[in-house]
Amino acid sequence: MIRFLIKGLLKDRSRSLIPLIVTSFGVMITVVLHSWLTGIMSESLELNANITTGHMKVMTKAYSEVMDLSPLNLSIIGADSLVKGLKKSYAGTDWVKRIRFGGLVDVPDEKGETKAQGPVVGWSLDLLTKGTKEIERFNLKKSLISGSLPKKTDEGLLTDVFAKRYNIGIGDTFLLFSNTFEGSMSFTNFTVAGTIRFGSEAIDRGALIIDIKAAEKSFNMEDSAPEILGFLEHQYDDEKVNLISEDFNSLYRNNDDEFRPYMIRMRDQNDMGSIIDYSQAIGTLMVAIFVGAMSVVLWNAGLLGGLRRYSEFGIRLAMGEEKIAIYKSLIYEAILIGLIGSITGTISGLGISYYLQEKGIDISNLMPNSSILMPQIARANITIAALYIGFIPGLVSTVLGAVISGIGIFKRKTSMLFKELEV
Amino acid sequence: MIALKLAIRNLTGAKLRTFLNAAVLSFAFVVLVFYMGLLDGWNRQSKLDMEAWEIGEGQLWSKSYDPFDPYSLQDAHSIILTSYNSEIDRGNITPILLVQGSIYRQGTLINIIISGIEPKQRLLKIPSRVLKSESKEVPAIIGSRFAKVNGIKKGDYVQIRWRDKNGTFDALDVEICNIFKTNVSTVDNNRIWIPIKRLQEMSGLLKEATILVTSNPNIDMPPTDWIFRDKKYLEKEIDNIIFAKKRGSIVVTILLLSIGLLAIFDTQVLSIFRRQKEIGTYIALGMTRMEVVKLFTLEGSIHSIFALILATIYGLPLLAIIASTGIPMPSAVDEMGVSIGEKIFPYYEIGVLIVSVLIMVLAATTVSYFPSRRIGRLNPIDALKGKIK
Amino acid sequence: MKLKNHGLSNLLIKRPIIAITLIVLILQCGFIFGQSADDILSKVDLNLSSNNRVFESTMNIIGRRGSRFIKSKTYAEGYKKSFTEYLYPPGDKGTKMLKLEDHLWIYSPSTDRTIQISGHLLRQSLMGSDLSYEEMMEDRKLTEMYKVNIEKKEEIFGRRCYVLYLEAKVEDVAYFTQRMWVDVERFVPLKQELYSKSGKLLKWMKSEKIQKTGERWFPMKVIYKDVMKEGDGTEFEITDIKFNQYITPSIFSKASLKK
Repeated sequence: MIRFLIKGLLKDRSRSLIPLIVTSFGVMITVVLHSWLTGIMSESLELNANITTGHMKVMTKAYSEVMDLSPLNLSIIGADSLVKGLKKSYAGTDWVKRIRFGGLVDVPDEKGETKAQGPVVGWSLDLLTKGTKEIERFNLKKSLISGSLPKKTDEGLLTDVFAKRYNIGIGDTFLLFSNTFEGSMSFTNFTVAGTIRFGSEAIDRGALIIDIKAAEKSFNMEDSAPEILGFLEHQYDDEKVNLISEDFNSLYRNNDDEFRPYMIRMRDQNDMGSIIDYSQAIGTLMVAIFVGAMSVVLWNAGLLGGLRRYSEFGIRLAMGEEKIAIYKSLIYEAILIGLIGSITGTISGLGISYYLQEKGIDISNLMPNSSILMPQIARANITIAALYIGFIPGLVSTVLGAVISGIGIFKRKTSMLFKELEV
Repeated sequence: MIALKLAIRNLTGAKLRTFLNAAVLSFAFVVLVFYMGLLDGWNRQSKLDMEAWEIGEGQLWSKSYDPFDPYSLQDAHSIILTSYNSEIDRGNITPILLVQGSIYRQGTLINIIISGIEPKQRLLKIPSRVLKSESKEVPAIIGSRFAKVNGIKKGDYVQIRWRDKNGTFDALDVEICNIFKTNVSTVDNNRIWIPIKRLQEMSGLLKEATILVTSNPNIDMPPTDWIFRDKKYLEKEIDNIIFAKKRGSIVVTILLLSIGLLAIFDTQVLSIFRRQKEIGTYIALGMTRMEVVKLFTLEGSIHSIFALILATIYGLPLLAIIASTGIPMPSAVDEMGVSIGEKIFPYYEIGVLIVSVLIMVLAATTVSYFPSRRIGRLNPIDALKGKIK
Repeated sequence: MKLKNHGLSNLLIKRPIIAITLIVLILQCGFIFGQSADDILSKVDLNLSSNNRVFESTMNIIGRRGSRFIKSKTYAEGYKKSFTEYLYPPGDKGTKMLKLEDHLWIYSPSTDRTIQISGHLLRQSLMGSDLSYEEMMEDRKLTEMYKVNIEKKEEIFGRRCYVLYLEAKVEDVAYFTQRMWVDVERFVPLKQELYSKSGKLLKWMKSEKIQKTGERWFPMKVIYKDVMKEGDGTEFEITDIKFNQYITPSIFSKASLKK
């Protein structure tokens, strides 16, 4: 029976092809939309994660209480081995040390004395290790206005606005005057490797990016870090982060040291919790609305599929086939079409979503002021839900459409059939 | 004209099918409009909040004021011109004096900006009326975020420290008489608001201010010491952010429209397949093929008109209700400092609406045209016979 | 009415002994309080201020994660010129600071750079201590800045002290009023409380190890504490001090920073 139906579907393209295309296309759009919405909904979360919060963050307990002030003197000591341990314990995650600092950038004259100076906020990131993801997280390549990324520890990136204001160019040397871990004065010479633009006026005024190794040396912080940021392989996932943070913090449950390591989740920082909940809610709502609409279309398609075969059923009835048999075969066909369409649709949808997730769409050209504080590449995000979010409505709606349109079969009067079939 | 009449008649004839297609398309359209309205409403609200809480219709800045450099505050104050006094009394100008200060949280110094504001002012939403205290104590108000971070409650006394114009240290316990909630983080973060008169005395900057917020965008320009910053200047950053946020909606728009269009496409293909005899008849009766193509295309695109009518019937009241009740939001601020209101009220811009309608009609016409092109290739005799190719 | 107005003369007639005792007492008080308040402060200035001085000092900053120890050598002339070289810890060794008037230059040997600090930056904490650059450099005579009153006599740390109340007579002082416990015999402040204009206690200082160097008594150790700041304050101790030495003028020049 099934083989017969498949044969029919294959041979009679009008019976199969269009409904199949519609189902498949509809399912594909659903999958892509779901992944895309999930992706862009979390994009501002990812932005926060990349720059400030990480998906999770390890710090000392004491630091966590005054986190908004980022006090260097409450840093984790022995950070390097902790990073190694974290990477080993939680496969697929990435852990990086970060030091945020403030200071004065001092531009010298020929005599090595202050020519100009201005305050900066600074980030030190791992810029030089091979395969580092920090450059991408800060989107530094796209943000370069001139010059290049630092290739050595004594090179730094200054914001373009700052560089222009203080008349300092690529290759010029400047001094960073800041505080060490203990509060002593810190002086370090850097060379300008390039200038960047963040797109936020407050930061563009004066910001400096240097390699983490340079910062460790300048601030006397070798093997220590105020914050260790953790990143999942893909986008933020509440459940995974909860598991990791609970597991990690349980290791120190019986430790009363105020400088014990302590992990917080992204949602514990800067009101991020409510943003996470909100974006999940709005994402679910959008997808629900869309799946609803899609179901109507597919149901509609199923209906049309039944309607278009009006005359065929007439002939079959005229030839003496049972109404119920025709109805059954119609539904079987619908199941087949729904299955094949949903499978192909899901596969192709996943394919497109995967491309959108990995490559993304470069939207920096759409923006007049490209900035690293804006995601430059919009990305999709494939989740488990993508596997069924299109598949189920694809199958159910197609079959449902057939079930309803097929009812018409029972209304046909045999006496009228030949009249209808007159050519 | 005949084509139009025919098309409408054909469509109204096929009641259920037409209705289903129009329903799907209208649904997609309503969702689309809602989505755009949500985005616009959100953006608009951020801007309106900023105007209501912070920038008014523009600001006059003391010459050396630089909002990004807290150290500039030391010099950023100028005498308020006496010619502005009447405007200030009438409430059209609100002077604000900013002085750098500090508080201590568990022994750690936190830099703040002590902000003096006229208690009587109504120009900004900052609830300054509660500062009208007659007592010797200096009353103060703070934003809820600042209160939360520093663990300050209503009724608490907080010691603030500052240095007067000569650099002499001064300190005072102020009473927190109100904690206000705002979406505009700049008036909340690290700000303590007290009556401007008190701050002028405390700092020795009598009759001086840092910012004059005005309700008149065409205010008389003072000769020196003050610089006028118009709304465009003050909102530049938020405008950029809004523009960038909008781009994400393009893909969603395309996907949403495509479900509706998929329905039309499907119908068109079916129509042409089912109505070959009809097509043959049209041609036999003297219509050119192109005319028939036009007729079928028209039928397809009229779906979008029906969808619009349908969308108006149920969508308009629905969207209107949402627009008036608003959608509740968690209060938070994202990395860029763009605030999210407690409720978002979708805002439907007429321009966006017209563009959306045009796009929908155009897209419906396009997807109707492509299947119809096949008619051009049909052999009228075969078509008349109903022979399937 | 008459009686009240001439109470003392009345008393003098009726109870001469009591009256005389009273007069003597009042006169005595006047001597202790009124006449010598400025003198006391001048004597304090004589002990603390000098035309020039050369000293080695240590600073112990007690923080949340243990304390830090900093050693330096300072040459100072008047209150407008000073030159400090850091000797310890190794990370700070060779760092030099030159203060002329309101300007401060810092030289760092590791970068071979001299940077200038001015304006608001002078108000920042010096090396994480309870002292700002400004306060560190401040050495104006108290008599130039404050008018003074004696409040009472009191014993603290086992020494008799005058309790002085100082109120600013010039505008540009950091602390508008001070309360100062001055040793009655040695004229060295043993304790100081620094108040804001509105009368809030902001900081206190305690002096220990009062030693005689030449003609003057000098507190060799001072503990500074910002009352609101966490930690146990900053201990500043002078290990060696010489007054009125010859200091080559060239030391107070930017060129000497790089030497």
